[in-house]
Amino acid sequence: MTAPSPIGDFLARQVRQQRGDLVISALSGAATAAAATLLLGLSGWFLAGAALAGASGPVAVQAFNYLLPSAGLRGLAITRTAGRYGERLFGHRAAFRALAALRPALFAGLAAAPPQVSLTLSSGEASARLVQDVNAIETAFVRRSAPWAATAAAAAAVTVIALASVWAAVAFLAGLGLQVAGGRILADRLSRDPGREQLRASGRLKDGLGAYLLAAPELRCFDLMPRAIGALMAHDGELSRAGLAGRDAEALMALVQASVAAATVVAVAGLASTAALPFAALAVLATLAGLDGVTALLRAAQQQGGYDEAVARLDAVLVAPNPLPPPPLPPLASLKIDGRRFEPGTRLGITGPSGCGKTRTLEALVGLRAPPSGRFLVGATPLDSVPLGWARPLFAYAPQDARLVTGTVADNLRLAAPGADDAALWDALADAQLDARVRRLPEGLATWVGDGGEVLSGGERRRLSLARAYLRSAPWLLLDEPTEGLDRGTETELVAALDRRLSRTGQGVVIVSHRTTPITLCREFLDVTGRL
Amino acid sequence: MTAADTVANRAFLRAYGRAAHAPSAPLLTLMLINAGGAAAFALALTLVLTGKAALPALAGLVIALAVRALAGWAASRVASRHALRVKANLRREALSVLLGRSRGDAASIGEATGAVVDEIEAIDGYFSQFQPAALEARVGPLFIAVAVALASPISAAILLATLVPFAAIMALAGGAAAAEATRQFEALARLSGHFVDRVRALPVILAFQAEAAETARVSVAAEDVSNRTLGVLRIAFISTAALEFFAALAVAMVAVYCGFSLLGLLPFKVPEALDFRRALFALALAPEFYAPLRRLAGAYHEKQLGEAAAARLRPLLADGPPAPLTPIDLVGPQEVRLRNLGLRFGDLRIGPIDAVAPAGALTAIVGPTGSGKSSVLAAILGLTPLDSGSVDVGGLRLADTGGFAALAAWAGQAPAFLPGTITENLMAAGPAVTPAAALAMATRVGLAAALKRRDGGGDTVLDERGSGLSGGERRRLSLARALLKPAELLLLDEPTADLDAVAEAEIIALLRSVAGERTVIVATHSEALAAAADHVVRLA
Repeated sequence: MTAPSPIGDFLARQVRQQRGDLVISALSGAATAAAATLLLGLSGWFLAGAALAGASGPVAVQAFNYLLPSAGLRGLAITRTAGRYGERLFGHRAAFRALAALRPALFAGLAAAPPQVSLTLSSGEASARLVQDVNAIETAFVRRSAPWAATAAAAAAVTVIALASVWAAVAFLAGLGLQVAGGRILADRLSRDPGREQLRASGRLKDGLGAYLLAAPELRCFDLMPRAIGALMAHDGELSRAGLAGRDAEALMALVQASVAAATVVAVAGLASTAALPFAALAVLATLAGLDGVTALLRAAQQQGGYDEAVARLDAVLVAPNPLPPPPLPPLASLKIDGRRFEPGTRLGITGPSGCGKTRTLEALVGLRAPPSGRFLVGATPLDSVPLGWARPLFAYAPQDARLVTGTVADNLRLAAPGADDAALWDALADAQLDARVRRLPEGLATWVGDGGEVLSGGERRRLSLARAYLRSAPWLLLDEPTEGLDRGTETELVAALDRRLSRTGQGVVIVSHRTTPITLCREFLDVTGRL
Repeated sequence: MTAADTVANRAFLRAYGRAAHAPSAPLLTLMLINAGGAAAFALALTLVLTGKAALPALAGLVIALAVRALAGWAASRVASRHALRVKANLRREALSVLLGRSRGDAASIGEATGAVVDEIEAIDGYFSQFQPAALEARVGPLFIAVAVALASPISAAILLATLVPFAAIMALAGGAAAAEATRQFEALARLSGHFVDRVRALPVILAFQAEAAETARVSVAAEDVSNRTLGVLRIAFISTAALEFFAALAVAMVAVYCGFSLLGLLPFKVPEALDFRRALFALALAPEFYAPLRRLAGAYHEKQLGEAAAARLRPLLADGPPAPLTPIDLVGPQEVRLRNLGLRFGDLRIGPIDAVAPAGALTAIVGPTGSGKSSVLAAILGLTPLDSGSVDVGGLRLADTGGFAALAAWAGQAPAFLPGTITENLMAAGPAVTPAAALAMATRVGLAAALKRRDGGGDTVLDERGSGLSGGERRRLSLARALLKPAELLLLDEPTADLDAVAEAEIIALLRSVAGERTVIVATHSEALAAAADHVVRLA
């Protein structure tokens, strides 16, 4: 009994749905491989037959049926072309249709997974890994026809080799088996360690570079640039060595496979040469083409290890969520933190020195991290007794890192309020002191903000994130460092606008800030030092 | 991607490939050996079949195949070593550009590390796989044709003749097919980017309960790419089909020509007399004629990856490295004067600031977070471009000197170290620093107990981040390094953050004692440090 594999199940389902295309692709692949094998084999047979007939005089030439083989050669050449085209076309069609469903399924699975699992993917490293894993699965899906094509190539070769010598056919099969099995084992042995070491070395290089990028003034003052580059290039050396070990392992595998193929050819040639010349020529050339026809399978066998790891990693992310039905959520609830109750509409400032857990308090409320037992109650329900995210409808959250999604200004705002009209968007932007800036953008609300909001400055991203939180009609606003990176004048106006907005909507607010101006809005304070 | 971009990307890759000593000559030699091996193989095969598997012929077969296998193995090793040199050159250059830039925010650091590590790594296959395949595709078929011509010039002519319609089709349809393949590659890359963007934004998406809506959007984007791709697949695979067709045609035509020639049934006269050996030799080599082109098609993905990475690396490397540090001829403590200094980061403006840090005094710059304290210090080094105004040190202008880093020592908020011992890191402060002076300074900044606690003492080995030291110890170490440089100007960014009151008092006393022999400027939140300063500059 193996562990349940959501990705495995998904792929099996897709294979069923795309069966038509996959079957055509596999049949085409098989036809191509068989045609290629037979083409070369038949050519050899035809040549040898023609030579024997030509040497035996005009009568033999008259008796030699050349029309059938030459028509056969033409037919095989066309089959090979059409088959290859069909294999690629239908194989890719099936793959694209299946994969159009893979990413949404994966995303839905990630969103439903416990945050401690899925949120680790928001770092660059882990999400890059995720992309590689999806790509590995994509590649494997496109290559689904490889075993069929290889089987057809091998079957065609074995059939025609057997015409010359059964033992030669056995030798061919043995060589083939050795190649497939050996390829798999060698790939596991030789590629895995360099692959892992490559990941570790690239991590060390990124880490060292990250440290030096933050210390540009020191590098400049002490003239350490050359030595810093030298230190980082030492990591580059490790990364290169690991990469080279992987490449050399691939070259070695190719060498081993070429040697096995060579031994197979020599064995078939030796065993088949006792047969009549046309059949011997047929057997040897079919062997060459047959071995060429299984290379796709060998490549697939080498990549199997990487594919298995990718599936395992994705399966680990897609843990089934807790199915317990949560209690109903009150529409307007008070919060109770560390035994103190805050009624709806309260303006609460969370205080305490850096690193004491102010941000973590907001994250626990909104269900992005597991709440400590008994510290947080919504209404009368302890947050640790309900599924993570149960209380999300109560909160509109502007996090410290002001993460934007790639899209337009309006896309980002409507994330919080899908049905909001433009007037509501402008209103929220005005309260976040960003309306003038957005009006100056080339296409206003429809301006593309780029990857993660890169066309905006840090302060602008923060204010857009703030406007987004304003748009959500939730009883509590959670604002983490809402004015960080803003100049004094903007900060004062932003806080005044927030004050008016809160009075108008009656929303409560929980503010975390190092700066004093936002805190002046608060009527109640909570020091979370040492609580988390 | 426009045509001009594609040309520029290829030129970029070509330039770096050349600079890293492209191994064209060894690769060509190995390809020639490989083609020779193919010819020897065909010859041995003919002899095996006609000579009833005589041992010398079988041995020849073994040797020919071994030579080919070894040539392939050596070629891939040569090419992967070239790829390695290209990557190392690119990394060295990217590092010298990036490390010379001013302080970056977290997003730009992620981008920079991604470029230096992942983008450059993505170029590997371009040089280790695509380029050798492209080289072989240009010469391999010709080598094989020459070998075939030794036995049957007409067969060689037939093979070469099939190249003409193949090249014509590739010229007509291949361009369109390549363009579609590139568009498909870019669409997939965008889809991948969209997916990753939404995964990274998961905290926000969850907080706004937008997971269902965003799943639907991921789904729409994926289906859109899938539909558009399906529409162009027929074109995208034209080159695959053409390659397959002409590879098959080459074999079939050689077989038919040789067969009819052996039968004496050719409807026209040819200036060559074929026997079975010659004919089989030509036929056994015929599949090799298109093999290099098929291998090139297999490496096409590496070409796309390499060119896409080049497109992202080009703008990064366009800036060039910073100018080397030029010595500044000033001796003794100097006055630092900021005149109408304005700095700008996007829409965040700092200043204008008018301030003086008197020569030989301890000056504190205070102000709330985000008011630009650290940026002003970086501006003195010339690391932050000035929006307006000027920075003068000892009467010299920043614009004339390119920064005062040569005069200054710095201890920052996120100190970085060289991989090596604590003593070596202290000695990096200047050429004249002895190990004894380094350890004495470590004691002076209050690191004696920390060194004694560790088995290695001053020989304790650090990595870039100073892992293994506490935050306070890292700061003291960076302060010691700054004090060891005989600099006229000492710039300290939050030197007492993360320290308790007792430690803070020690550091303040130390800074008081060094002020006088040099000008000390600290950016600080600490009231105690500001109170101990001779002069306070308040930023709003």
